[in-house]
Amino acid sequence: MTPQNCSPLVVWGCLCVAWLAPADAAAQTAQASAPERTTAISGYMDFHFNKHELEDARLDFHRFVLLITHRFSDRIRFVSELELEHALVEGLEKAGELELEQAYVDFLLSRRFNVRAGMLLMPVGIINERHEPPIYYGVERPFVDTVIIPTTWFEVGVGVHGEVGRGWRYRGFIASPLNAREFSAEEGLQGGRQKGADTNIGRPATTGRLEYVGIRGLTVGASFWTGRSGFEFRPRFDVPVKLGEADVRYSRDRLELRGQFAQVAISNAGDLNDAMGRAVGVDPNVASALRGFYGEAGYRVISGASYGDVGLFARYENFDTQFRMPGGYLPLREFDRDALVFGVTYWPDADIALKADYSAVRSQNSTITAPNSFNLGLGWWF
Amino acid sequence: MSHTITRRSLLLALTGILAGSTRTSTGAARRQNAQMIDIQVERFSFTPSEFRVKAGVPVEIRLRSDDTDHGFYILGTDVNITIPKRGKGVATVTFVPPSAGQYVFECSKLCGAGHGFMRGTLIAE
Repeated sequence: MTPQNCSPLVVWGCLCVAWLAPADAAAQTAQASAPERTTAISGYMDFHFNKHELEDARLDFHRFVLLITHRFSDRIRFVSELELEHALVEGLEKAGELELEQAYVDFLLSRRFNVRAGMLLMPVGIINERHEPPIYYGVERPFVDTVIIPTTWFEVGVGVHGEVGRGWRYRGFIASPLNAREFSAEEGLQGGRQKGADTNIGRPATTGRLEYVGIRGLTVGASFWTGRSGFEFRPRFDVPVKLGEADVRYSRDRLELRGQFAQVAISNAGDLNDAMGRAVGVDPNVASALRGFYGEAGYRVISGASYGDVGLFARYENFDTQFRMPGGYLPLREFDRDALVFGVTYWPDADIALKADYSAVRSQNSTITAPNSFNLGLGWWF
Repeated sequence: MSHTITRRSLLLALTGILAGSTRTSTGAARRQNAQMIDIQVERFSFTPSEFRVKAGVPVEIRLRSDDTDHGFYILGTDVNITIPKRGKGVATVTFVPPSAGQYVFECSKLCGAGHGFMRGTLIAE
């Protein structure tokens, strides 16, 4: 089944059939008392100090996020995540954003098959679905999870998820595609997210993730996203985009290791650049392929002390938003970058993280250098 | 040895009563065959997320978190406990599966963006 012929009606039909079918859980809950309806509020905050080379230091209340959930029953849940970025929302470019990052209803039909609809996080990479500040090292998210995988990546859609046994989990969603008009040489796909705002869904994107969590401390996952993003240029041409990703995460006692690889293919990037150049007078030099990977090691040098834990980490990243270019285009070498990020995190409580790191960024362009930065962060979850 | 078993059995029975287990066995032989399972908990998974036990026999479930506090709720029962944060100890609950079948459990305390994926299955045979 392709995304073009998988209509919402088909999905809704599957939902109804599955809903009516007897499920394992139903058999076990028949004698139980009815579950209570409950509403819960939670959230996280992220407060940053950033000092880039040759620039004045900045203080930024980067994220203020509230999660509100409601349990209609054991089978039906509502989950939402509302995020205010950069503290202030105005109508101008430099102002912050108020984003509805999640707002979905989960229909929990069985262990293996559940249906989710609404505003969904795309199940791609480590950070997009795991972005609470106390659970990752570093003040800022990894560069790969910013310019190759455009976190936080959320779109409206519908899909299924479940666990098929022995630690294997999956999710598969149909969602609104990226908008190729907003792709750029420096930040790749980042600007193309439609974010659920009156989105074009003419040719829906498909995304999925398979994940293994069957061994204590180990998570291995692979994700894909594929969609046609040239809806503003059809019928002249389309812009098919494919993203593939693989990641691994291992944590045991004091040690935590992470690795991730992601690559993006953008078809007809030459046509896209040409059309954009004619429309706005500036050729965006969008690449036909983007690639990034990183490896990270963290270790809690102090663990279990009465005053909290202290962890050290180092991460190497390589990310190139001009990895392959369409015919007739040369890559902008300043966007072929790598970074060494290292620092320390202090957890006075498992849900509070004070972070300090230094980010040394290099590019392949000898005249246009990427700025290094010193960063401090205070993040908490409640 | 028998003294140790008796104390252990008593402790298990008391834990079961305090935890509000839906079915508490009264047979001494069953208590002596008590089962135990250790579950590691983190955002957003239980490990193991699937395990097999004997139906009608108490199972002592011990849960330890690697990060924030989580919940452990067996759907359709009154087993619903809080798992303390990393470094704050282990949560223990005793459950007696009343009959063979699959019992879905989940995190009952909102713990992050992927909270909805935190589910698992206890299979009673």
